[in-house]
Amino acid sequence: MTFDAKALIVEQVEGIRKSVAGKAIIACSGGVDSTTAAVLASHALGDRLLAVYVDTGLMRKDETEDVARTLKELKVNHRILRAADEFFAALRGISDPEKKRVIIGNKFIELFEREAKTFGADSLVQGTIAPDWIESGGQLRDRIKTHHNVAGLPANMKLKLVEPLRDLYKDEVRTVARTLGVRVAERQPFPGPGLAVRIVGEVTPEKTVLVREASAIVEHEIEVAAKDKRVPLPWQYFAVLLPVQTVGVHGDLRVYGQTIAVRAVDSIDGMTATYSKIPHDVLDRISIRITNEVPGINRVVYDVSNKPPATIEWE
Amino acid sequence: MRVYVVDNGGQWTHREWRVLKYLGVDTKIVPNDSPVSDLKEVDGLVLSGGAPRVGIDPEKMGKNGEYLDAFRGPILGICAGHQFMATHLGGAAAPAKVPEFGKSVVKVHEPDVLFEGLPDRFEVWESHNDEVTKIPPGFTALASSPNCSVQAMRHRDRPLFGLQFHPEVEHTQFGSDIFRNFLKVCENST
Repeated sequence: MTFDAKALIVEQVEGIRKSVAGKAIIACSGGVDSTTAAVLASHALGDRLLAVYVDTGLMRKDETEDVARTLKELKVNHRILRAADEFFAALRGISDPEKKRVIIGNKFIELFEREAKTFGADSLVQGTIAPDWIESGGQLRDRIKTHHNVAGLPANMKLKLVEPLRDLYKDEVRTVARTLGVRVAERQPFPGPGLAVRIVGEVTPEKTVLVREASAIVEHEIEVAAKDKRVPLPWQYFAVLLPVQTVGVHGDLRVYGQTIAVRAVDSIDGMTATYSKIPHDVLDRISIRITNEVPGINRVVYDVSNKPPATIEWE
Repeated sequence: MRVYVVDNGGQWTHREWRVLKYLGVDTKIVPNDSPVSDLKEVDGLVLSGGAPRVGIDPEKMGKNGEYLDAFRGPILGICAGHQFMATHLGGAAAPAKVPEFGKSVVKVHEPDVLFEGLPDRFEVWESHNDEVTKIPPGFTALASSPNCSVQAMRHRDRPLFGLQFHPEVEHTQFGSDIFRNFLKVCENST
């Protein structure tokens, strides 16, 4: 037996209809999981559903515009919130990765509760998938990291939680997404807390710009190489800004700049992963472009760790 | 056929459920303090891995001991489940000299139904701090890796199997074949 996407769609559309009597909002980041959940919920609830996308200021390049287009195409009733200043203010001075994740989770819920009140919704639909609640831990299970949509929820949350994809892994969600005709079905995973967990240490708007630009280069170069069949497209590929300064030389002058780690992994479900064997010429091009095009970065390293012992994201 | 997964708090407990589901088995994840009487209609059990350190906090392993004593069908212990099986039945587990995380290679020394149709060396994924240091009476060690001498064991008479590595993850080679072989044992003992 393999995974039966059609059966899951029927079952979950029915399930959402049963659990939501009134109106619901869905937290939608534009990724595969939440977009798929939005389409399922939209089939179940029609205009009793409002999809809410939050621009946290921690998104990838051109992401907000792209998500708006996706939701429009899918004809899902939606709203875009611009809340970058609120997120940066809440994260000021915080460098502990778990604290960052919890602050972001709480901020999300604060905004969703506000939107739910305005829309008159009593339920919150989320695209939570199996690794989110597994890694968030609870009871016997150790917390590997706080997934904002699970362990980031406040205990006194008033909204009723509906999670149609809870038992699925990413590969299965992609199958559902393809069946539903969701354009972002093949999009690489992007963490809920966004670029905040790809900046090791305190998050600032300035650092966010650096990691965003570096990530855009990593994504572009790896996608071009994959298109030319020089490397299979990794499961996930991105840049991480490290809190490490090192010495460089620029035009006969000493510089003391920052470091970008490039991460690319192969996986099926995100629960185990191997680092991608990216050819050296591709890494070379990524390195040359980042150190020349992103001001302040003078060193690029490649992460060669598997999961376990490492995780895919650095925080 | 019905095979349940006893949840000892592992990162990959739900993966065991997924592999069994894909193999067409009626399966469910149950907490490790479920009463034995809930398992009457069950044909086989998987004791998952988990965060508990078997040697240090055995009480976190709930009723795993009762399952090993009272459940007569086949049982597959994985990682912490395997270590607990060893300690409960008279063997021992202790912190590993060299804990293994991620990729490793196992060598099968003793042919067994669990490894039927598999090569005698294959790549597996590990994630453990402790290991079986003494196999219980009545058991045979089946496989090892360079840093761990008991990667697999089984009871000579009862259908009890223990694996230190994780057959349920995508990156372990022949993982679902191992589950399929275990299911054959379950089928034959009903």
